[in-house]
Amino acid sequence: MTDEAILAGIQEVARLHLAWEGALTPDMRLVEDLHLDSIRLLTLAAEVENRFRVFLDELDEGAIATVGDLVSVIRRKLGG
Amino acid sequence: MAETIPDWLEQAGRRPEGGLRFLDRHERERWCGWAEIRERALAVAGGLLAIGIERGDRVALVFPTGSEFFAAFFGAQLAGAVPVPLYPPVRLGKRGEYVRRTAQMLERAGARLVLADSRLRRFLGEAVTAAQPDLGCRTLAELPQDAYRTVPAEPADLALIQFSSGTTVDPKPVALSHRAVAAQVEILNDFWRDTGELRHSCVSWLPLYHDMGLIGCVFPALARDATLTLIAPEVFVARPAVWLRAISRYRGTVSPAPNFAYDLCVNRIADAEMEGVDLSCWRTALNGSESIAPAVLRAFCDRFARWGFRPEALTPVYGLSEAALAVTFSDLDRLFRSRRFDREALSRKGAACEAEEGREIVSVGRPVPGFRLRIRDEAGRDLGAGRVGRIWIEGPSLMEGYLGHPEATARAFRDGWLDTGDLGFVHQGELYLTGRAKDAIILRGRNYAPEEIELAAEGVAGVRGGCVVAASWLPEDAPGEALALFVEASREATAAELEALPAACREAVLGATGLVADQIVVLPSGALPRTSSGKLRRSETLRLYLAGELAPAGEAALPLTAALAEDER
Repeated sequence: MTDEAILAGIQEVARLHLAWEGALTPDMRLVEDLHLDSIRLLTLAAEVENRFRVFLDELDEGAIATVGDLVSVIRRKLGG
Repeated sequence: MAETIPDWLEQAGRRPEGGLRFLDRHERERWCGWAEIRERALAVAGGLLAIGIERGDRVALVFPTGSEFFAAFFGAQLAGAVPVPLYPPVRLGKRGEYVRRTAQMLERAGARLVLADSRLRRFLGEAVTAAQPDLGCRTLAELPQDAYRTVPAEPADLALIQFSSGTTVDPKPVALSHRAVAAQVEILNDFWRDTGELRHSCVSWLPLYHDMGLIGCVFPALARDATLTLIAPEVFVARPAVWLRAISRYRGTVSPAPNFAYDLCVNRIADAEMEGVDLSCWRTALNGSESIAPAVLRAFCDRFARWGFRPEALTPVYGLSEAALAVTFSDLDRLFRSRRFDREALSRKGAACEAEEGREIVSVGRPVPGFRLRIRDEAGRDLGAGRVGRIWIEGPSLMEGYLGHPEATARAFRDGWLDTGDLGFVHQGELYLTGRAKDAIILRGRNYAPEEIELAAEGVAGVRGGCVVAASWLPEDAPGEALALFVEASREATAAELEALPAACREAVLGATGLVADQIVVLPSGALPRTSSGKLRRSETLRLYLAGELAPAGEAALPLTAALAEDER
C-alpha cells in the first residue's frame, strides 16, 4: 500500500471516529495539531488497527508523534 | 471475619468457584480462579522476600489488566509489602510526559522496587533511572524462585497506596489500611447480598490503579469468592460495546463507571454491535468518580431501553480515594433523582431553593452505612440543610493519610473528620454536589492538579508569568466537565502575541498534559483574584467567571476569548 493510500485511510478514520473534517498532512502532530487527548488517542489507535488489520505495538515501534510516524509504522506492519 | 486482604485471598483460594474472567479485545475469555491467583501470589511473595523486600516496603506495580497484575499485587501483600498500582502508558501518548509522571509517583511513594510487565518494562527504564528505587525494576519472571514464605499483615498495616491524581505536580499518595479497605468492602457487599435466586456478578472495565476498579470491583468479588469479569480500559474505550455485551453475556448484575463512560456508550455504540444483547440483568449501574450530567443519564436510558436496560438501574454515587471509595449511594432500584435549584440563590447566597427553571443537579444519595456527613462553612462551622458548604465526612474506611505529607494530612483531618474539599448541600436528606473548593480538576474520572496545566501555559509568549488559573466544572446541559484556562496577558504583549494567545495556550496545555482546554479566557494584568499573600484563588476565579464577574474591567481593548473546543462537545 502506498503512503498516500495509508494517509487517506487514516484521514477516513479521523473523519468517522474523531469528527476531524480537515485535511491530514504527515507533519501534523497527533496531540497538539489534531487535539487528541488520551481517550481520543486510544480511539485512533484502535480504529486504525481495525481498518488496516494491523496491531500497532508502539512500545516496540518507538514514539508515534505525528501522522507521518503513524503512516510509516503502518507501512512497515503491512510489509511495505 | 476476614480483617485483611490476604485473609480473603486465603478463604477464596480454598473454594473453587470464584475467580477472574479476563476478556480480550476479541472478547475471548481467559479464566483465572482465586486459587490459581493465590498460588501465583505466593510464588511472587517468596521471590520478593528473597531479594530483600521487608515489611512495609512499597512495591510499585505497572501492569496492564491481566492475571500478572494480581499475582504481583497480592504477592506484595503476602510478603508484608505495600503495593502501589501505577498507570500503564497511554496508547500513542507522549513518552516524556509519562516518564516524568511515573518517576514522580515512584519517588512520592518511596518505592523500593518496581514490578512491571515485560513489555512495559523497557518503556519504564527512564522513569526508574530517575527515581532510583534501590531494588530496581523487575518482571515477575525475574524474581528468584524461592520457597513460599509470607509475612502476615495486621489490620492496622497499610494495604495499598493509590494516587488521587496522576500528575507531575505534587501527586498525593493516599495510604489505606487493611482495616479501612475491609470496612469499605463490607459496606459495598452489603448492598448486593446473594439470595437463593440471585447470585450477583460484577463486570468492570475500570483501570486497576483506580479505586472504583480495585476497591469497588475486585475486592468485593474476592471477599465473597465471586466471579468478576474484567475488560482492559483500552479495550472499552476503543469498543464501548464490549462492556455492555459482557454484562449481557455473563448476566452481570453490578457494573460501575464514571459519567463519561455512559456518554461514550451513547455516542459510539452502533445498533449492529448490540445484536442479541439483553441488559435486563443489570440491576445496579453505578455512576461515580466525576460530576454526573443529568442529560447523559437520560440519553443512556433512552438509547439502551431497547436492549432491556432498566432506568432504575442507574445509581449516582459519590466517593473519593481518601475514603477508600464510596461515601454516599442513591437508593438502589429507584429512578435517579434530580432537582432544579435557583441559580442566583446557589451562586450568591449559597442557598439551595428549588426553582422550576433552575439549574438541574443530580442527587448522589445518602451516606452509606457507617458514614456521616456534615456541610460546613470555611471556618468549619456546621451549616444547616439547604446551605452550600464544604463536605466533611467521617466513617470506617478513611485513609491513614497522605504518605510522606504530614502537613497535607493535618489539613485534611479535624477531630477524625475528613474535609473532602468538595462543595455541596443536603436537600431532603440527600447530597447534591455543586463544585469543588479544593484545587482539583476532574475529567473523565481522573484527577489532575491544576498546577501542571497552568505551568504548561505559563511558557507561552504574551502570558504574564505566574498568572494562569486552570479549573474545571460541569456546565449546564454539557455531557461532562469542561476545562477552562484563565490567563492574564502580560503588559508587554504585542498585538500579534495577544491574538495568538488562545491557540498557543491550548496547544501548550495539550502538548504537556494531553488535555483539551474547552475555554481559554484572556484577561488583563491583575484581573485574577488573589489571597492577601498574593496566591491565586482558583475556585474563586471560576465562581467569578460563572457569575459573569470576571470581565476585563477598564482595558476593553483586550479580547475576551472563549474558544469552545470544536471536538466532542
